[in-house]
Order: sequence, then C-alpha cells, then structure tokens
Amino acid sequence: MLLAVLFANSEGNILVERFSGVPAEERLHWRSFLVKLGADNLKGVKNEELLVACHKSVYIVYTVLGDVSIYVVGKDEYDELALAEVIFVIISSVKDVCGKPPTERLFLDKYGKICLCLDEIVWKGMLENADKDRIRRLTRLKPPTEF
Amino acid sequence: MADSAGTTLMDLITADPTPAPGSQSSTSASGAMPPPPPPSALGKPVHTERKSKRTTLMQIQADTVSAAKAALHPVRTNIIPQRQKKKPVSYSQLARSIHELAATSDQKSSQKQLVHHVFPKLAVYNSVDPSLAPSLLMLNQQCEDRTVLRYVYYYLARILSDTSAQGLSSGGGIPTPNWDALADIDAVGGVTRADVVPRIVNQLTAEALNADVEFHARRLQALKALTYAPSSNSEILSTLYDIVFGILDKVADAPQKRKKGVFGNKGGDKESIIRSNLQYAALSALRRLPLDPGNPAFLHRAVQGVSFADPVAVRHALEILSELATKDPYAVAMALVAWVFYESGALQDVLHLHDVLARVALARLCYTISRARALDERPDIRSQFNSVLYQLLLDPSERVCFEAILCVLGKFDNAERTEERAAGWYRLTREILKLPEAPSISSKESNTGSKDGLPPKATKDKSQKTRRPQPLIKLVMRRLESSFRNFSRPVLHSAARVVQEMGKSRAAAFALGIQDIDEGAHVNTFSETADSLDTDGYENSHSEGVRRTTSMSNGAGGKDTVASLLASLMEVVRTTVACECVFVRAMVIKALIWMQSPHESLDELKSIIASELSDPAWPAALLNDVLLTLHARFKATPDMAVTLLEIARIFATKVPGKIDADVLQLLWKTCLVGAGPDGKHTALEAVTIVLDLPPPQPGSMLGLTSIDRVSASDPKSALALQRLVQAAVWFLGENANYAASEYAWESATPPGTALMMLDADKMVAAASSRNPTLASAMTRLQRCAFSGSWEVRIVAAQALTTLAIRSGEPFRLQIFEFLQALAQGGVQSQLSDVHVSNGEDQGASGTGIGVLISPMLKVLDEMYGAQDELIKDIRNHDNMKKEWTDEELKKLYETHERLLDLVSLFCYVPRAKYLPLGPISAKLIDIYRTRHNISATSGLSDPAVATGISDLVYESKPASAEPDALDDDLVNAWAANLGDDGLWGKNAPAMNRVNEFLAGAGTDAPDVEEENIISRPSVSYDDLWAKTLLETSEMEEDDARSSGTSSPESTGSVETSISSHFGGMNYPSLFSSRPSGYGTSQSSERPAASRFSNSSTGGPSSMYEGLGSPIREEPPPYTSPSRQRYESFENPLAGGGSQSFGSLDEERVSSGNPQFGTALYDFTAGGDDELNLTAGEEVEIDYEVDGWFYVKKKRPGRDGKMAGLVPVLYVSQS
Repeated sequence: MLLAVLFANSEGNILVERFSGVPAEERLHWRSFLVKLGADNLKGVKNEELLVACHKSVYIVYTVLGDVSIYVVGKDEYDELALAEVIFVIISSVKDVCGKPPTERLFLDKYGKICLCLDEIVWKGMLENADKDRIRRLTRLKPPTEF
Repeated sequence: MADSAGTTLMDLITADPTPAPGSQSSTSASGAMPPPPPPSALGKPVHTERKSKRTTLMQIQADTVSAAKAALHPVRTNIIPQRQKKKPVSYSQLARSIHELAATSDQKSSQKQLVHHVFPKLAVYNSVDPSLAPSLLMLNQQCEDRTVLRYVYYYLARILSDTSAQGLSSGGGIPTPNWDALADIDAVGGVTRADVVPRIVNQLTAEALNADVEFHARRLQALKALTYAPSSNSEILSTLYDIVFGILDKVADAPQKRKKGVFGNKGGDKESIIRSNLQYAALSALRRLPLDPGNPAFLHRAVQGVSFADPVAVRHALEILSELATKDPYAVAMALVAWVFYESGALQDVLHLHDVLARVALARLCYTISRARALDERPDIRSQFNSVLYQLLLDPSERVCFEAILCVLGKFDNAERTEERAAGWYRLTREILKLPEAPSISSKESNTGSKDGLPPKATKDKSQKTRRPQPLIKLVMRRLESSFRNFSRPVLHSAARVVQEMGKSRAAAFALGIQDIDEGAHVNTFSETADSLDTDGYENSHSEGVRRTTSMSNGAGGKDTVASLLASLMEVVRTTVACECVFVRAMVIKALIWMQSPHESLDELKSIIASELSDPAWPAALLNDVLLTLHARFKATPDMAVTLLEIARIFATKVPGKIDADVLQLLWKTCLVGAGPDGKHTALEAVTIVLDLPPPQPGSMLGLTSIDRVSASDPKSALALQRLVQAAVWFLGENANYAASEYAWESATPPGTALMMLDADKMVAAASSRNPTLASAMTRLQRCAFSGSWEVRIVAAQALTTLAIRSGEPFRLQIFEFLQALAQGGVQSQLSDVHVSNGEDQGASGTGIGVLISPMLKVLDEMYGAQDELIKDIRNHDNMKKEWTDEELKKLYETHERLLDLVSLFCYVPRAKYLPLGPISAKLIDIYRTRHNISATSGLSDPAVATGISDLVYESKPASAEPDALDDDLVNAWAANLGDDGLWGKNAPAMNRVNEFLAGAGTDAPDVEEENIISRPSVSYDDLWAKTLLETSEMEEDDARSSGTSSPESTGSVETSISSHFGGMNYPSLFSSRPSGYGTSQSSERPAASRFSNSSTGGPSSMYEGLGSPIREEPPPYTSPSRQRYESFENPLAGGGSQSFGSLDEERVSSGNPQFGTALYDFTAGGDDELNLTAGEEVEIDYEVDGWFYVKKKRPGRDGKMAGLVPVLYVSQS
C-alpha cells in the first residue's frame, strides 16, 4: 500500500499531499514526521538523490527536486525499492511538466497539471502508470497507447 | 498544521513573492489573472483564511448559493475581473467561476480560464463542493476541450471519493468545510453529496459503456473516476462489476499478440491497440474492486490478463492472482496452468516484462502456489512455479530479485512461521537453479531467445557458464554483495533487510535443528545424480527445474562452502556501516544481529555497535528498534541470551537517554528466564555489569557520585543512566534468587544459628563457595548501597533486604551484618551527642539511608531473635522431655504468622513455604496447623488468612475483630496471578511494543519525538519518589490508621500500597507473582478502598497519625525513645521509606497504641537482648513476648543500650 505521497517546499510547508489508508488522526503525525525528516537530512542533498527511512514496518523514500522535496511512504509490497520506483516516476513526471527541476513558483504554476499527473501515477494507494509518456497522454485525455 | 500549511499554500498560490520568469505567459497563474492583483493585495488571502471558521463557513455558503443563482441566470458573465480587483481568489469565487464558465464552455476564453486558473486553484482545496457537480457534469457533456474534460473527470472522482466527513479525503491542501453539513444548514439551496452522486454515477456509467472508438479515451477516464466511488455502496459496485466484465467479455477473448517492445507500440493496428487500452482500463478497475475469490469469472479474467499486451494490465492481473492465490491456491494454479502454460507461455514472458511490480507480483504468486498445501498432489505444478520463482533471482531489478530471495527464504508477509523460515534457509542453501535449455522440450517458441532482454547481472548471457546450474546460495550471495556496493540508499537499506531476513531464516533453521545444516558443506557440487533427474522430468513443457542435490559430499575440494560465502557477504555488510544514513546503518546492525551465530565471536559486532552508538545522530526510535531486534533475536535463539545482554549493555552505556528502560528490563528478564539453568549465572552477570556503568572514573565506581558534574554536561543522559542503574539494582534484588536458585525455603543449610559462630571472612568464603551467583550479586548490591547516588542506595538497600529475606544462610546473615554496619555508625554518632544533629542522619558511611535500613534490620533481627527463642524452647522441651502444649504451639504459630506478615511487607515470599523461624519450626507449625485445621497452603492465596478471618477464629486480639477490609476480589486476583509467570503478560507497556515488533506490525504514525524522557507516559522512578513526597502526609495518615490495628489485613493494605508505589515502574520481577499486575488499577485502587474502610475503625489511633507523620507541624519530640521514629522525623527525604516502613514498626505494637510504663524495680540484664532497668525509669513498651516486655528507654542507659527485653512484672503499665 502506498500510504502517502507528499510534496513540501524548502521551509517544510506542504504543497501537495495524497494519503491513502492512513487514518485522519495519524496524518498530522506523518506530516510532521516527514517534514522533520526532510529538515534533518535534506540539506545539501543533490537533486533526485534518494534518501531512505523507516518507521516500524513502514518505509519512506524521499528526495529533493529543485525547491521541492518529495516524500513517498509505503508498506508491504511498497518497500524501499518499490518506493524508489514510484518516486522516480513522480520525479520524471514533475520534470516533464515543469521542464526542469521546479522552483517553488514554477511548481505552483503547474499545480493543476502536477495533480493530474499524480492522479495517473497513484490510484487508490497503488502505483498505476509508470511511463512518463503514457502519463502525459493520459493527463491530456488521450488513450494510454496511441495508434 | 493543516491550517498553517493551507494558509501558506493559499498564500503562495495567490501571492507572487518572486516574479516568475514566465509570468507574462498565460501559463502563470497570477500573472495571467486579469488584471494582475496589486502587490498590496497580496496578503489578503491570509486574512480571508484567518476569519473565524463560522464566518468563513457562512461566507462560503452565501457565496456558493449566490453563485449558483448567478449561474442559473447568467446575466453578468464577465464579472470576475472586477471582483478580483478587490478580492484575492477565494473558494467561493472559484466556485462561482466554474458555474459561470460552464455556461459558456463553448468559448475558447472560458476554456482557457478554466484550464489555467480555475481548475488548478481548485486543486489546492481539500475537497470539492458537491454543489459544483451540476456545473462539472454540464462541462462534461458540452465541453470539447480535452484538458478541461480531464480536470472534470478528476474533480468528479474527488466528489465521488469524498467520504463526506471533513478532512477524510485524500486531497490534502487547504481544509474545506463539511459540505453536506453546510448544505443542511441552508435548506433551500444546499446541495449534498447524496444529491449529486447518483447523477455523477449515471453519467459516468453511460460514458463507460460507450463503445464508440473515438470516445474510448474518455471511456477509460470515466471508468477510472467511477472506481473512486466508495466500495460500501453495493449498487455502484455491482454496476462497476457489470461494466468491467462487459468490457472484458468483448476484448479479453480475442487472440493476444504480444509485442516485444511493449511501450510505444507503434506498429500495432488500431483495433488491437484500442482493445489493449480497454483491457488495461478494465483490469485496473478490477484491481480496485474488492476481490471475489469464489467467482470463476473473476479468476478467469485475471488469468487472461496475464497475457494481455498492456504491461500495467499484466501487473494488475498478476497482483489480483497473487492475492487470490493466498485464498485459493489450487484454483488459481489450475486456471493458470490451463491458460498460461498450454496457451501462450505467458509466465515466461512476464519475466521479461519491463514492469518491475509485475515481476514482483509474479514472484509472490509463484511462491504462494509452490508452497501451497492444496497442491501436494501436483508436485509438477508446484515445481513449475518454483522454477519461475528461482529464475526471478536473476532479475536485473533489485526489487524483483530481493522479493524472490525473500520468497525463497519463506518471508512472505508479516506472519512468522518458523518451519517455513527454516525450510527457506534449507532451500536457499541446498537448491540449485537450472536455467532453461536453449531448445526447450516444449513446443513453445516463446522461450527461445528469452534471455535477450534480460542478461543476468552476474553471469554472461548465452555462454556455457550461464547454462550451468547455479546453486541458489551462490547466486544470492553474489547478488547481495553487488547490491551492497551500490550507492543508492534504498538499495543498501533493502539489501540489509534481506540479509536480516536471511538471518531470521537461518536462526529458525538452527532452532528447529534441521539436520544436514552443515555450513561447511560445499555448495558448488552439482552432482551427476541431479542431472539424471532430468529425464524423469514432469510433464510440463519447461525443462528448467530445481533439483535437490541429495548428496553434498562428492564435491571437489576447494569449493565454496556456505560458511565461506556467508563470511564474505558479512564482510561487505559490515563495511556498509560506514553509510552516512542512520536508517541504513540501523538496518545493517539489525542484519548483523540476526546473522550473528551463537558460536561466533562477538567482539566485532560489539565494537561496531559501540562505535555506532557514539554517533549522536541516532534517533531514539531507531535505537529502540534495534533493542527490540535483540528481543526478537533472543526469541529465535535462546542460547544467545548472554551475547544479547552484552549488546544491550552497550546501549545502556552509550545511549542511556535514548533507550526505553522498560524494553531493556524486559529484555533482561526474558533473557534470564530463557537462559536455562546453566546460563542464568552469566545472564545475571550481564545484567549486573550495568551497575559498573559508566566505566570507572577516578574516585567513584558508578560515576554517579559526581552526578552534578555529569548533569552539567548532559543532564538527560545522566538522569537516564541513573534510572537504568536503579532498574538494574531493583532487577538484581528481585531476581538474584531466581538466577541463583537459592531460596530460604528450599535451602538445605542448617538453621542460621549454626553459622553464627563463623566470623565474617569465613562466612563470605562459605557463601561464595556455596553459590557464586548469589554471592556476586550480593557484592554488587553492597557496593551500590555504599557508593551510588541516594536513589540507587535506597533501591540497593531494599534489594539487599529482599535478598536477605529470600535467601538461606549464610547469605542472610551476611546481609544482616552489612546492613547493620551501614546503619549503626550513624546511630552511634547520633548517640554520642558530640555532633549536634542538623536534622539529617548521615549514617555510618554517609549513605544517609540509615532510616531506611533500620526497619529492615529490625525484621531480620526479629527473625533471628525468634529463631533463637525457638531453639531455646526446643532445647527446654527436650531437656524436660515435655510435650509442646497447645498454648505454646499457638504462640509459636502466631510468631510465625506475624513474622510472615512483616516479611511480606518487604518482598513477596510464598507464605505456605516460607519459614521465618527456620526449618526446624516446620514440624511444630505443622502440628499446630493440623491440630487446628489450618490449611498448609494458607497464605495470601487463602482468603481466610488474607482477610483476617483465620485470625478472627484463632486469635484473641480484640483489634482484629474488625470486619475484613481486603476485598475478596483482590485476593482472588492475586491468587490467580500467583501461578502466572506473567512474562508475556499484556499489561506492561514494553510488552506491547515487543509484541507489536515481533508481529511486524506498526504502521501507525510516528511521533516526532522530542526525546524527552520525562514526558514518557510510564511513571518514572523519580516521579514516584516525587509523588511519594507530595502525598506523604495523606499516605502517612492512611498507613498510621491501618497500623492502628495489627490484624493481617492492615498488613495487606500496607503491602499493596507499597506494591502500587513500585508498581508504576513495572520492574519485571521473576519472583514476584504478579509482575503484570503491578501498578494496574486493581492493586492500586483496592488498597485505597481497604484503607478507607479501615479508617472507620481506625478512630482510636488518630493520636497516632500525628506521631507517624513526618510532616508534623509541632516539633519532633526529641524525648521519643524510638530511634527509628526519630530518624523518620528527621529525614523527610526518605519519604517513601519512612512512610512505609515507619508504619511497619508500629505494626509490631501488639496493642496498636504505644504504651508507656515505669520500672518498678531495678533489673539487671541477663543477656544481650535484655535491658538494664533502674527503678522509676520511664519506658515505652513496644510489645510483649512470653512474659517479657520489649521496651525502649527515652535515653540510653549506662551501658548505652536503649531498647531490650525486661520481665513484665518489673514494669507497671501506665
């Protein structure tokens, strides 16, 4: 289960979050845990370098992309490596939408598109599409495979 | 948090702190807002958001309604620019815009507005207002623009998924109100979800059923949006099933043409591509629907999905199948075999699919089927799937390979089955992967060239070497080693995790003692016998298979052994500790702990852990996780108790402030219990080593005497270390007897008197030769009693008393002497009158615990005195050849019971067995018991004794004639707990953590810990003391009341109050009968009740309350002859001790009130325990024994003695 996908800016303000299977009362904990994790570890980290953490049997993979940090939380079959796959897909889509590692402004300008991409990548707590071209097609309401 | 985040988000999306380079272009939200808001207005959204919730709600509602009205009568179409000049964009404005723009959706400008401004901003909000649905549906029907439509589907899905309660949606972002509640407030214009959901579902269903080719992209999205509807709605669910199966009926049965390049499949004809798209959409939707295990159509479609062209569809099919297989492996296997193996060889194709998760699902599916009991009859099928699983070990993706390794190891889900794990280790070390032959026996062409897309990392493709069968262990080891050279942290982390799982399986194999696990065996021996098995291959079309090598011995020399492979792997693992990520390091350490075998040297692991722990970067949660790993490791291999305790000790040394003392103690206890008779000594030693922490500094053994200095540098860890030391001392006192298997009531030692004559040196020698475990525990405790901080000294004194009471001779005597030495010096200095007391008794060695020790000493004193008395009596009877009269026996029995009660105040002893008067009393007491029908097992477990009923019957004391105050329930609860070891009890908070950890559970959210020990929910030792100090007056009152009577029931209440004092600490005690019950409501509430009922009868003792209370308002009476009470007055610091033990000595006043008397005649002491009296001297009568009064003088006599026995007739009671 992909428990959460979360985007935050460099100050730790959350820009996008998608939870699934996390009770509402625990989301607050997750938010602050992830933001703290990022604040502690993401300084000086290169773009797209993956960092890993775990809490009990939940795995977290996170990274920084431009001004935005991305966190992915999962359990069971979504272990570190599966989360790494997921975060790669997210990174490539965000870069695809923004054209480069986004600044915060750019990210917000493309906010709607990013939400649509995320909608194609994560569907009810599961990774759906992993191919960037396919995602782009789907966000434009085109069929996944074109003829 | 959400609010602030939301505000910021809102802030960010409307304000523009740094002008974006592309702000001129229409893609920039704020730049394109016509006209751009002036900078002065930038802060405004914040104000809007900060309005009180109520007003915000109302405003939104009003705006929405007016917007809806405006939408109904679209008179003013272009009102937005003026509005926005004044106001920054708000939700209500967005909503209004949607309504207005929906009406004009055919215009390009409206579409642009929607796509670039309205929809992206709406995405910021947590949920979508149902009242937007009509406009969205209108857009959905009328608008042509694809991007607008895509957003419409997105928002429709969000409305469907919204579970109506605020904040429950997955959206995140700026919190939105509960729309339905809002709609209810306004009965006229409110639109609830219930109103719109059917409309949305209808429209989406219609679209999802639209078979028009040109429409199929929208069809896909409609189907996707539909799956967001809550699955609790069975109507929608059945509609969805209908749609999905309807689509699959049309598109699934056509012959599949799998193409090599799966993505960007340009070459395909339109029809097959559309079919594949629909297949994908249908299977994706099916994956989101609840599983339907019994449904053959469901299974059939999922199996068909394995050979679909779309890789995501294949992944979903495999995931569905692997989930189904856990429920009904037989059906899944049969369906798969029927479809896949004979139709298209699809499973082999999946191996080369680019979708990683699809291959992961395949691994899980293969594992489930190949281990299914239901398929015992069909070994051929099982081996087919097994071989696919083994081939996945060669997968280029770590994710897939590791999943395959974990499956081979028997780790599938969180349920740990030791047998499966052990078998997993066996498989890994014994089995061999034989790759497919180039020309397959089967007629399927699909296998040829199957290696193209997938060269195994470690081997060269197509070379003869690849074809050579590979032992699994070698493959796995090589793969893991190369993974550890990776730079990616997720890879390192998961490789370490795989090694950890390997260690678990290995431990399980050893634990089960699986024969034939000889790690020295060569693994490289692919024997002829295995080859010959080829011919008797199963009917299946695939020749690759796994052969179990039956003999390992025929390998040539110089080959790899499991041990050598493991050694080289572990070398790589160890170097990974250098990773800068603590999480990776933690996983590596866990892996090392699991791979540590009980027979190997521990030094390396210890030094690794020690150096790791010095790193301040470690978060407490992670350290505790490692500590819990030790627990799990111990459970797997009890032999390792000592090893693990030594590791745990490193934690205590290095990071006392970060680890959970409860968990550590639980580990001690578990290890001690599990260590077996031989290991107990070492296990206890390992625990006690904590007492030597930190490493000796000049001038102090514990380093805690310099507590001030330590606290200056790091108060938190100093405090934590102290708590740990206290815990260790307590643990030692409680469990040393268990570890040493030395109990007074099982002791073969002759009664103490025989040893009385020995001098101290001989005694120590005798003690240590008799039971070195106990002797060494005692020595450590003695050292602590001397040199710890005062908290430690107190606990040490208590622990020593426990030890003294529970152990036989010579230990008891040794402790007695020690305690006396500890206490007496202080008394003498006090008596010498040279030093004017400053109100604090320093004790002999400045330990300051004299006040605490004296009641303990008294108990021991009384026991010895009573023993002497008994021996004297026995001798008298023997000499005079006299039978014991009933009266004498009764007196003896009463003494016995009284001492038992006393002893029970200090620690638990089994009343039925414990003989405070020594073994020789056993016979006499038995006689009395049989004569009077007192059950030998009577004790606390016997309600009659516990409630004082037996005293009512057999005792003449008037004081005990009060109603029983101890609740039967309580007694029964205790009794029920007596037999229960309580080791895995439910109550201890640490236990929950351990169990949770062992079960692999714990997905709950982490606390962002402040690493604050004080704030931990469990009551700390210090808290307890503080509490005791605060509550002293009240407690004292209660205790004094109960001590006003001497019936055992009051004893019980005192005891329970003690146990509840210490109960909160949850110190595990092997000995105690109710460790799990400590501090629970029962033991803490009941005594309160019993005390309460006591107070009704305790009226006469009210005078005593004042005396007993250390917080008296009047000055302490220096004339009081009681040294003990004197001390307790002077030493409020020892609140806990003086409070519980002070009441104890009053316990001994047989009448309950202090009695005073005057000496009638001079009396010269005839023995050590007797007291000289001068006629006219005033004394306080403590108690009466056999015609003797035990009296105390107000000032010491010429001989320096203050208290002793005098004949009753010499004293007139006043």
